[in-house]
Amino acid sequence: MTIQNVLLTVDRISAWSGKLFAWLIVALALVVGVEVFKRYILNAPTPWIFDLNSMLYGTLFMMCGAYALAQNAHVRGDFLYGSMRPRTQAGLDLALYILFFIPGIVALVYAGYGYAELSWRINEHSNVTADGPPIYHFKSFIPIAGALVLLQGFVEIVRCVVCLRTGEWPARLKDVEEIDVVGTQIANSEYVDTESREVASHSRDIEDAAKHRGSTESSPRHGGKP
Amino acid sequence: MSDPMLGLTMLGLIVAAIMMGFPTAFTLMGMGMLFGALAFFDPAQHWWENRIFDLMVQRTFGAMNNDTLISIPLFVFMGYLIERSALVDRMFRAVQLAFRRLPASLAVTTLLVCAFWGMASGIVGAVVVLMGVIALRPMLNAGYDVRLASGAITAGGTLGILIPPSVMLIVYAAVAGQSIVKLYAAAMLPGFFLATMYIIYIMGRAILNPSLAPKLSPELYRVPVPDWLVRLEIGPENRIVGGLLLALARPGMLQDATYLRLLKNVAAALLPLLLTIALFSLAWWFVLVRNAPVDATVPPEMMIERSVDIQASTDLSTPGDEDEESSTTEAGAVPLGTTALSPAAGAQADHVPEGFYTQFWGFAAFMALLLGYYYWRMDGEQLEILKMLTVSVVPLAVLTLSVLGAILFGITTATESAGIGSIGAMYLAGMQRYPRLALWGTLIGAVIGASLGTIQHNTMTIIISGVLGGLFGGAAATWGRDLLGPLRMLDILRQSVFLTAKTTAMVCWLFVGSALFSAVFALHGGQQLIEQWVLGLNLTPLQFMIVAQLIIFILGWPLEWTEIIVIFIPIFIPLLAHFDIDPVLFGTMVAVNLQAAFLSPPVAMSAFYLKGVAPPHVTINQIFAGMMPYMLIVILLLAIMYMWPGMVLFLPEFLYGR
Repeated sequence: MTIQNVLLTVDRISAWSGKLFAWLIVALALVVGVEVFKRYILNAPTPWIFDLNSMLYGTLFMMCGAYALAQNAHVRGDFLYGSMRPRTQAGLDLALYILFFIPGIVALVYAGYGYAELSWRINEHSNVTADGPPIYHFKSFIPIAGALVLLQGFVEIVRCVVCLRTGEWPARLKDVEEIDVVGTQIANSEYVDTESREVASHSRDIEDAAKHRGSTESSPRHGGKP
Repeated sequence: MSDPMLGLTMLGLIVAAIMMGFPTAFTLMGMGMLFGALAFFDPAQHWWENRIFDLMVQRTFGAMNNDTLISIPLFVFMGYLIERSALVDRMFRAVQLAFRRLPASLAVTTLLVCAFWGMASGIVGAVVVLMGVIALRPMLNAGYDVRLASGAITAGGTLGILIPPSVMLIVYAAVAGQSIVKLYAAAMLPGFFLATMYIIYIMGRAILNPSLAPKLSPELYRVPVPDWLVRLEIGPENRIVGGLLLALARPGMLQDATYLRLLKNVAAALLPLLLTIALFSLAWWFVLVRNAPVDATVPPEMMIERSVDIQASTDLSTPGDEDEESSTTEAGAVPLGTTALSPAAGAQADHVPEGFYTQFWGFAAFMALLLGYYYWRMDGEQLEILKMLTVSVVPLAVLTLSVLGAILFGITTATESAGIGSIGAMYLAGMQRYPRLALWGTLIGAVIGASLGTIQHNTMTIIISGVLGGLFGGAAATWGRDLLGPLRMLDILRQSVFLTAKTTAMVCWLFVGSALFSAVFALHGGQQLIEQWVLGLNLTPLQFMIVAQLIIFILGWPLEWTEIIVIFIPIFIPLLAHFDIDPVLFGTMVAVNLQAAFLSPPVAMSAFYLKGVAPPHVTINQIFAGMMPYMLIVILLLAIMYMWPGMVLFLPEFLYGR
């Protein structure tokens, strides 16, 4: 098993768990919609809806942190970074993962465990309403999400090391991106000529180039495709 | 150990640290951890007992429980769904045909479609690339000036992040502890004013110098009219309305066309009239029924006091927490349609605003005249264009406007509107694929909803529950059918869900990092030091405003709006009170200002996005030159907003009282 396989396996774990919890957004939309009907039309508001909503939302974004990290989707101030050579990028990233990333995420796992454990021990319930639902399982997601992000962080550190040695960023898993909407739209369009269709098929490269404030020809994709 | 100098070091280092390109969420988190560990350092403790670990977890849980941020995933989800289901290409064609007689019609259309499209998603890059493909070539082929054409696309694409429902304003609301509702209301007028100024600029240039935007050749915008409609046209002006009405009575005139087809055309022709009537009756209902006082025996003074209390608690609440709760208790606890005491009603003892009837009937008469003229002049071509608009623009416009309207008029909270908006977006996606099924689902759902609504014995509740029921029914029918069988829409849903997850994680983790960072910054007393320093400069409010906006403008070059709002806005917010600047006004000005920053050479990213799709002969300098005038218009707007804050604050004060 090569290093690249290990990297991609962990990427898959992060992506899989993130995508699993991503579906909570559909649940959140439905819960909010049904509650609007219940509250305003049937005049029967649900007392614990506030807690349920934040649980769905909080769990969603925490559990998708590792997925976003695996996809390099966390926003970077990449104005200077984008124009550096991969080796320089990897060196900077490596140092900052150890200096910045590890302490905060370790805190999430370590202190988060204590935080959740206390909540379980005292059988903590929400205090938004008088008779709130239990929230210890919600708090348990802090150390769990922290552990996932930490695992993904180790993989990112290995990526930096690999890049320092080879001078190239190891590949990441392929996934849907915002800019893909251009392809979807053009595929369904009626009035666009073939020349434009051709241009639109390179939308991902256009995005990369734009992020580095450069033209389309240079600048290979950060991370590349497997 | 805590020390203001350490706080200042934090601030100085953070700018450098962000520029190193590490994911900003973790940069903030790491800086917070390191400096926090110093602040909490206690020699008697082991290092692992340092309280910074607990602070980190507390702050994380705070973000998980933040009920302002909760609407972000919902709005983002709605935007992604709309982006993937509605067809921008058809929308562009329909709007262009509708505006074909205007000067520079292609550029005006481009600007409008860009802004409308960006409203849904709030992502500049994708809009610019998409419109670059769809609109740039037609404009260049028609002989438009390169600069005019590229300016319209980049300015329009950027406009989308300002006009509500904008995710940027939600993040500002969460950071500054303001209410989303007020910010949305505040951004409405400047947003539309900016769009109007852009359009005036484009048309003005085209009128002064027609060679910049030559008229399209007639065959490019000729709309084919089916034969049976041509036969119904009357007179040399080809007027169609009379013919349609006659044919309703005498089906013999149709010859080969079916009666159902005629009915569909009549329905499409009636749509503008119906929408106008719906709009006016909603205004009537809102002012006269919903805002009527609960109990006439309550003295006006008490009502004023109550609304003042509500406002005060809203203003004092920390990170937007109680905001939504208080608006829930205001608007939510009272069932729809019964007589609720909304703040606007409370602020005015007499619940009908002065001059309401005159204004209402004045507008109604004006609209009636306008519609009358429209129908009088309507020919077969116009009807065909109207049908295209009905298919491509109207559903999305109705959805967006109802979501916004429900928020602005305090009918639902922002979260609830966003939830309904997401379901509405699913409905639109379903309707595109399974129109017939959507129709039946809607009808059945509407009947069920309306009958459930009868328990309140109130016409408005029955109507609204019918609409909601129809929405749920249509969405359930189409998606149920698709997910059980052909799975043709699964891809759209999966893409939207996964992108929502990534974007939400990005924004909210950034918020976690910044929450820790600002807590530690305050712990060191850095905030106090900055305040003393700024106050020591003896700036006038005007000077302060200019300096603050200038800093944000410059930060807008290298950074994205997420970073600017989450990291730097918290530093400015406590200073606002000293200079007597309304945080809502400030937030709106920041949002407008970032428009200028994103349109300014030589770093604006949208220019490079456009360059990527443009034909090779378009140079980056031409694109920048095209963006410049729009940037100047934005700066002009900023000046107007500062000199006349009423433009920003009028709507929030009108709707929610002071």
